[in-house]
Amino acid sequence: MFLNIDEQQQDKLALIDNEDNRVTYGELVGLINAVGSKVEPRSLVFLLCKNTVGSMVGYLGFVEHEAVPVTLNAKIDNDLLTNLLKIYTPAYVWAPFEEAVRLEYEKIYECCGYALLKTGNELYPLNEKLQLCMTTSGTTGSPKLVRYKKGNLEANAKNVAIAFGWTKDERPICDLGMQYTMGLNVINTHLYVGATVLLTTYNLMSGEFWDYIKKERGTNFTGVPFSYDILYRLHFDRMDLPDLHTLSQGGGKLTDARFTQLAEYARKTGKRFIASFGTTETSARMACLPAELSITKIGSIGRAIPEGELFLIDEDGKEIVDPVAEGEMCYKGPNVTMGYAVCKEDLLKDDEFNGEYHTGDLARRDEDGCYYVTGRLSRFLKLLSFRVSLDQSERLIQQEFNIECACSGTDQRMNIYITDESKKAQVLEFIAEKTNLYKTLFKVLVVPEILRNESGKIRYMKMDAMYVG
Amino acid sequence: MKGKTIMSNREKYAQIFKDVFGVNDSELNEKFNFKEVEKWDSFAHLTLISELETTFDVMFETEDILHYGGYLNGMDILKRYGVEF
Repeated sequence: MFLNIDEQQQDKLALIDNEDNRVTYGELVGLINAVGSKVEPRSLVFLLCKNTVGSMVGYLGFVEHEAVPVTLNAKIDNDLLTNLLKIYTPAYVWAPFEEAVRLEYEKIYECCGYALLKTGNELYPLNEKLQLCMTTSGTTGSPKLVRYKKGNLEANAKNVAIAFGWTKDERPICDLGMQYTMGLNVINTHLYVGATVLLTTYNLMSGEFWDYIKKERGTNFTGVPFSYDILYRLHFDRMDLPDLHTLSQGGGKLTDARFTQLAEYARKTGKRFIASFGTTETSARMACLPAELSITKIGSIGRAIPEGELFLIDEDGKEIVDPVAEGEMCYKGPNVTMGYAVCKEDLLKDDEFNGEYHTGDLARRDEDGCYYVTGRLSRFLKLLSFRVSLDQSERLIQQEFNIECACSGTDQRMNIYITDESKKAQVLEFIAEKTNLYKTLFKVLVVPEILRNESGKIRYMKMDAMYVG
Repeated sequence: MKGKTIMSNREKYAQIFKDVFGVNDSELNEKFNFKEVEKWDSFAHLTLISELETTFDVMFETEDILHYGGYLNGMDILKRYGVEF
């Protein structure tokens, strides 16, 4: 069975959520088969995800029975959902009751607060290797999906479990959304070793969240950089958390100061801090830094996970063989996905990555073979860990307002340069709405002109230096 | 209206909520709490807390941050830090 769920201790708790659902591995096997048998094999299913048992049962059931889920946030914007439904015409939608009401499809099954809706769309051919699709971020409303092939998720679950040393005694705190690669990886990895997964929809800054993880005795936590900003704002380092023994990071780079703080905290309290690196295109993790190195290799993502290989290429695309070097970071391994899709015909395409992915990130390799991400080749930011394309943001603003615009920035904030003062407030409103992110993550700067070089290319660095400092 | 108006604490308080959540005055009532408001996630919460601390020059205890769950109950918490409404 997918993730070997039927080979775990069957009376052991597999999933717990904060809606009072608790299921054992044995019960989970039953639920997987029940929901899986309701869908046609090789059909596409939109999975409106929440971190609950119902959402997980759908995901596992469809994968097990050869249907292909597309993972989306249950709170997805209506226009975006309508657009995706039109583009990919799924045969089914698996949605929590409160979201199912906005879709006028026939309900054919229900389980743990979720409904299986039949859309009436006809099936169409999907590539035989295709197992799951995930949005790259979805924030700029792009219909682009990453195509996962059979074996990706299980290979990553297995190899990450080995690299992190997870056992069945773990009780991971899963608050990162399962529709995203890192959230799903944390869950898969722990099911793979027969642990008890604590799913939660509570917000990290609420009393309920902390009551839940204390009551359910969470043993490890995976956060994106923003999660750790919150944890420190709450002075979590002064909290008594005796059951929590591992803190892990993924989805964007921590500042060196925060990294040091976490490494020090772990050392002082006898806990582990494990930094890692991954992308949607590699079914989450490619690399992690062993806990014992966190204090000496501040800011490093460590080395490739088992069965994987990290390497650097130069500007000509040639592999750099010098041990200590800097270049574009690339990865080979069984967790590299098949490629992208922007329309339903793409779901028939064969493997285009062929096991190798070029990340678009610049990295340095040290004398011990540990990697450090130093910059980015491609033009995107990770705002709150959501990938937001700068070029696409520029295009959206130009089209909407018919004005000149340049976007740059850091993972903390996007800078939007415009020359038309009168559009300042509207641009901010517009981009926040389009990306579904907060206004405080954007700064609109009105400048006399958008600086360009002789060939017409925008001089982002020069403008940042002049106006942002 | 003549000259510059000085905002009352209540107005400043309401303005922070309007900015963070993009809502108007009519929505700010007893129902405006983290359970009812979909946008009230951890990022909104962090922004809200930072804005309140800056505007009213206070420093919340962890327990108060965790239980800052609504428009009305928030005023009670702020009162304990000496802010008058």
